[in-house]
Amino acid sequence: MMTLLRASLLVAEKDLRIEFRTKELLSAAGLFAALVVFIASLAFYLDPTEARRIAPGVVYVAAAFSGVLAFGRSFAREREFEAMRGLRLTPIPRAAIYLGKCIATFAMLSLINLGALLLVALFFHLDLERPLLHVAAFLLLTTAGFTAAGCLFGALTVVTRARDLILSVVLFPLLTPAILIGVVGSREALDGATGSELGVWYLLLSAFFALAIGGGLTLFELLIED
Amino acid sequence: MAADFEQVSVKRLVKTYGTTRALRGVSHSFCAGEITHLEGENGSGKSTLLRLMALLGRPTSGEIYFGDEPASEPQRFRAQIGYSGHEPMVYPDLSARENLDLFARFYGYRDKDERLKRLARLEELLGHGAYLGRPARTYSRGQLQRLSLGRALLHSPRLLLLDEPTNGLDREGLERLGRILDQERARGAIILLVTHDERFASAVCDRRIRIHHGKILDADAAPGP
Repeated sequence: MMTLLRASLLVAEKDLRIEFRTKELLSAAGLFAALVVFIASLAFYLDPTEARRIAPGVVYVAAAFSGVLAFGRSFAREREFEAMRGLRLTPIPRAAIYLGKCIATFAMLSLINLGALLLVALFFHLDLERPLLHVAAFLLLTTAGFTAAGCLFGALTVVTRARDLILSVVLFPLLTPAILIGVVGSREALDGATGSELGVWYLLLSAFFALAIGGGLTLFELLIED
Repeated sequence: MAADFEQVSVKRLVKTYGTTRALRGVSHSFCAGEITHLEGENGSGKSTLLRLMALLGRPTSGEIYFGDEPASEPQRFRAQIGYSGHEPMVYPDLSARENLDLFARFYGYRDKDERLKRLARLEELLGHGAYLGRPARTYSRGQLQRLSLGRALLHSPRLLLLDEPTNGLDREGLERLGRILDQERARGAIILLVTHDERFASAVCDRRIRIHHGKILDADAAPGP
């Protein structure tokens, strides 16, 4: 029987291969994130000090909205032709389907979210030279937790009719703590906080990720069963 | 370790969806080297029985045995099950070749030569058409049906469950399918076939089971004309 890691990588490879061929998810979610950033920059930019306070929120709002779009698209592929059922017929561990989807979606969302961060830096005139490492790390850690929860609820869209409703209505309240932590941590990093001062936010985001991935691995099989 | 078995049995199988009882206590044994035709009107429970035997869902009550072992650990039996249903269960953005290669990898065939050999073995069913390199979403109903059957047969499963495999197939496709089912029977596969194509069923099946309102009405040794 195939190991969990090998099977997960195979599922991820499949998703990435389809994405690089169709570019549906990257183009739709990427463009959406860019639009959110652009509109927010027109609506909220006042001066450099205010911009530094607002910018992290804009990045995370763009990440949350484009993420929901990405989860929906990623699982729509599994719904079409009932491809997920074909996958479930194979002897790979069920958790590998979940982990594989998480790996591929995380890779794509990371690209989109880091792109959104650069756009925010451009439109909000942020000086990212010193805090870049922390801001990017917060964003990637939030993306990881976001993906772990999103892929679990994305699976629900394969088996229920209220697809988009489930994703946005159920997912956003669940993600709120991670988004808040990411925003506050990034804001403090932009204000010049040191690594040790930011430690608590890293810890909280890691805990959120652990909880989300643990829940995903435990519940995924139950959610996708006929 | 993957299990091997000569017989698959269902015992007092019940499946309910909400208030609808799709299966009401189905018991039967299916043996290696036999093709069984499941017949019955629409909604009688044939497809539900096949899906449960494919381990795609859990019965409300009752048990499925692979040989003497209950299917309480479905993972052990999945490599031995091939299932083709109403949808092709493949990725529409990948071609037939890519889909079959991908699924072969999911079934644990790591060696590329082995995978190519398995694909070549399916050529009789799939044909040599240029369509094999195009994305599956561009296929006709018949081409998708062939691809779906190819996916189900790819790993030479011990238990082959085919739900309406003749849908969309032209005469040539039906002949090819008939020849392949003969080969699979000779190999010792346990084959269950749901089809409304009586002529095809009479030509290939050894046994017939009639399901009515979620129960087996009658079972005989050989299908009638």
